[in-house]
Amino acid sequence: MLRYLAKRAVTYVFMIFLTTSAGYFLAVTSLQPALLEQEKIPRPTPEQVANSFRLKGLDPALSPWERYVDWLTGIVTRWDWGRSPNGAFVNAEFGDRVWISTRLFLASIILTLIIGVALGVYTAARQYKFSDRAITSYSYLVYIVPAPIAYFLVQLGAININETVGDRLFFVTGISTPGLDGDGWAQFVDMLAHYAVPTFAITIVGWGAYQIAQRQYLLDNVNADFVRTARAKGLTRNQAITRHALRVSFIPVAQSIAFTIPAIFAGGFFAEKIFAWHGVGSWSIDAIALQDVNAATATLAYGSVIFAIGAILADFATTLVDPRVRVQ
Amino acid sequence: MSSETTATGPSTAERLHVAGLHTAGRHYTDASAGAVLSVRDLHVRFNTENGVVHAVRGIDFDLLPGKTLGIVGESGSGKSVTSMAIMGLLPQTAEVTGSVRLNGTELLGLSDKAMCRFRGNDLAMVFQDPLSSLTPVYTVGSQIIEALAVHNPTMSKQAKEARAVELLGLVGIPSPKDRLKAFPHEFSGGMRQRVMIAIAIANNPRVLIADEPTTALDVTIQAQVLEVLHTAQEETGAAVVMITHDLGVVAGMADDIMVMYAGKPVETGGVDDIYYNPRMPYTMGLLGAVPRVDVAEKSSLVPIEGIPPNLIHAPTGCSFAPRCPLGTEACLHGEPALWPVGGSGGGALEHKAACIKSGTLGADVDVHEIFRAPEVAVSRFDEIPRGDRKAVLELKDVKKHFPLLKGALIKRRIGTVKAVDGLSFDIREGECFSIVGESGCGKTTTLLEIMEFHKDQDGEVVIGGLSNKTASDAKTKAAMRKELQMVFQDPTGALDPRFTVYEVLAEPLENSGMAKPAIRKRIMELMELVGLQPDHVNRFPNQFSGGQRQRIGIARALAVNPKLVVLDEPVSALDVSVQAGVINLLDKLRAELGLSYLMVAHDLSVVRHISNRVAVMYLGKIVEIGDVDSVFDNPRHPYTRALLSAIPVPDPQLERSRERIILQGDLPSPLDAPKGCNFATRCPIFAALPPAGQERCLTLEPPLQPAAGANPAGANPAAGPGPTAPTDQQFACFYPDGELDTDMLVVH
Repeated sequence: MLRYLAKRAVTYVFMIFLTTSAGYFLAVTSLQPALLEQEKIPRPTPEQVANSFRLKGLDPALSPWERYVDWLTGIVTRWDWGRSPNGAFVNAEFGDRVWISTRLFLASIILTLIIGVALGVYTAARQYKFSDRAITSYSYLVYIVPAPIAYFLVQLGAININETVGDRLFFVTGISTPGLDGDGWAQFVDMLAHYAVPTFAITIVGWGAYQIAQRQYLLDNVNADFVRTARAKGLTRNQAITRHALRVSFIPVAQSIAFTIPAIFAGGFFAEKIFAWHGVGSWSIDAIALQDVNAATATLAYGSVIFAIGAILADFATTLVDPRVRVQ
Repeated sequence: MSSETTATGPSTAERLHVAGLHTAGRHYTDASAGAVLSVRDLHVRFNTENGVVHAVRGIDFDLLPGKTLGIVGESGSGKSVTSMAIMGLLPQTAEVTGSVRLNGTELLGLSDKAMCRFRGNDLAMVFQDPLSSLTPVYTVGSQIIEALAVHNPTMSKQAKEARAVELLGLVGIPSPKDRLKAFPHEFSGGMRQRVMIAIAIANNPRVLIADEPTTALDVTIQAQVLEVLHTAQEETGAAVVMITHDLGVVAGMADDIMVMYAGKPVETGGVDDIYYNPRMPYTMGLLGAVPRVDVAEKSSLVPIEGIPPNLIHAPTGCSFAPRCPLGTEACLHGEPALWPVGGSGGGALEHKAACIKSGTLGADVDVHEIFRAPEVAVSRFDEIPRGDRKAVLELKDVKKHFPLLKGALIKRRIGTVKAVDGLSFDIREGECFSIVGESGCGKTTTLLEIMEFHKDQDGEVVIGGLSNKTASDAKTKAAMRKELQMVFQDPTGALDPRFTVYEVLAEPLENSGMAKPAIRKRIMELMELVGLQPDHVNRFPNQFSGGQRQRIGIARALAVNPKLVVLDEPVSALDVSVQAGVINLLDKLRAELGLSYLMVAHDLSVVRHISNRVAVMYLGKIVEIGDVDSVFDNPRHPYTRALLSAIPVPDPQLERSRERIILQGDLPSPLDAPKGCNFATRCPIFAALPPAGQERCLTLEPPLQPAAGANPAGANPAAGPGPTAPTDQQFACFYPDGELDTDMLVVH
């Protein structure tokens, strides 16, 4: 198992290196931070700009290959992912951002999964009954409603509640109240008030996909021959489904879960923007807008790493639920 | 009929119970007293979008302890639905009425939960497809133990495990203790079916229902599984309901037979009554439609024209009347009931037939006459000795080896799969040559190698004088395709559903550059040739039945006037009655058009019927080859003998007294093939040989040698046909006359 993981890890490190390098070349040739500097007031002279960039290791006079070698040397020797045009260090910024993204999504991912899979099983067992139709219709609805719109709607709802109650129960933006004093309990309540709205919003639009997938895969197996065999042994229909069909139907779902989690971590910029949680997702968009070569490449590298982890997780999950797949 | 009984609950069960007793009538009251399972007036209806399908229309039978009832019928006759209705496994939307009593307890109307006390306990079932019937994610051990745990909650873990090991040993799985932890995918189809049987007999059932238990298996494995079923029945004393479409499979096993047609039993009786004295034209037709592996004399098979009725519309007359050659006006008024026809079958079921003419039918009536079976077609080539005919296909030492690779980035070869290993044979004009063997022996690869026709192939393929070695450019290949065409196994999959029959048939003709008017004319000819109505050319394939689709496939192959037609399992997807018509057609075409066939088939009865010559393949090699009658009547190679003895024959008396060679295990992986004789690992002679003899089998590869008294191929063209005709039979075995291992011989 360890050998297998090591082998896979080596392959993925190689792939991450390739994508990141390609991303760097793309960024360094297309992003021109010097143009943005021209809009500053007072407008700096081109010499000043070039000078300032040279000090930050962003010398526009060097060829892309020279900059790539410098950048790569920095990472390999000092684990230094470079600086932004405004002088910030990517390393420092990155740590904060990853933590914020993780906090924003962790709770909702767990809730999404549990609710989605549970409802999928529930609706499959009640195929074409009213509850199934209602839940599945809802899932298709959130499938087609763009996520930002749903987030805004939840925000509006929370604001409405606040107005009705006449007190600020929920915070619709931000991570915590700046400068809040008080004991641990007050901190905790403040945290809940900030977490509730984004977690709720991401969860209710997220579980639809899992519900549809789980329902579909389970229905494919409900009438499978092996379920019939289980019933012929003397299990009731529901026992046969929960003991035999469920695990088989969970195999493809487990795979898709492992792949979607990293996608949310790295790419949840709508949620981050709307709820004003400044995580990795919004940073990657901002980096491009600010013509920030190093930050853009770093977010890309982070995305690749987290995808590789997802792929290994997917393999792992599959071997866990499906004995036909054995790691060699 | 109690079609209004849709309510559930004990009161319904009570009422049905009474109704069941009532309809039982005088013939059953006695028998049902000792019966372990009695079914009365069973009806099943399904609500579909097109209307209510009345799938089972009144079944009555009594099953005595330890006895076997065979339910025989074609697809759609309602036999599987009957078994599922007894088990209570039909979907809730199905409407089941009547009475099913197990040891006097009414089962119909019970809730799913209440039924669970019986299912898997007193009433167990083995299903058709062993590959999909076991849960892939659990070990076989846990699946057997589950069956024990459901009905014996107090049993200890050790006791359950011990019982599971015992069961696996009973069904013949080697080293059962270790295999408990194996997953289903690590077992072959035959092994999985054994596991299914072990699960079914786990709680010593009183009734065991086997629904086509061997249909998905090879003949050698079928023989093994039937043997296991036999042991299981002896061990548990269960009564068995054996559902099958194969009249051979039940001939040796069943005490009673029920023949079903269109959801109704049309003839019931003891096994001898049904096989030797059928009184219903459908049964007679079914028996006549099956080719026999043990009969050399060639007579046409009995085709039953037409297709079974649609069960959405209630039949007003005899449901078989539209297909019955004896059908008259009287047959169309009122559906005939099962009438006693007198007989002494000795089973629990009285011999009865649902036919108004059963009185005039009997053992002395020739079924070939009734069904107007066509004359045996004689080809103009049959007169000419084989040696004087031109060869249409020649294979010389054709090999196909697949390298077995390991490793993700850098592959290294860890072995070779010799799918086809040095095949040589030829096919002469007007001759049908068949290749037989278990799945995995290389039959299909051989066909693919012939169709490939590339000069880089290992070995030479000569088709109609064109060799793959000298010329395999596009032009020669096109010429080769004109000589050789193919008919595929699955007629539905082989026809484009969006092409009309006209387009299907026109494609090869357009490809060969024929003019439009000529194409039209040729298509009409073809339709007539294969027995289809020419005005149906604008229909799509889904508007035809399976047999008709296969006829379209044959017409497509014949479009360009090939000399040789390659038939890949041409009838295995078809029902018995339909199969007979297609076989007769193939026979007729061979004679009329002077065609040659290269056929691959697993059904040796069909092979015997249609072929002139046969080759038996085992692990990529021909182990025996020669004239079909000499190979089948006087098999020399132990594998051929085992194959032939494994085939059930629709003749109960013969079946009961036959000696069978039951091969151990499955076809080994080509990787594990021994250095010497491939067959040594399963050979019944090898097992009985002294060590010195075994040594020879293991180290030397036996070459093909002519059978004693036979001449080499075509060496004596002067000899005419007759009982003393020399054969060109060859076989590859050192000890063809060796003693057979007694462990592998079974007589019932």
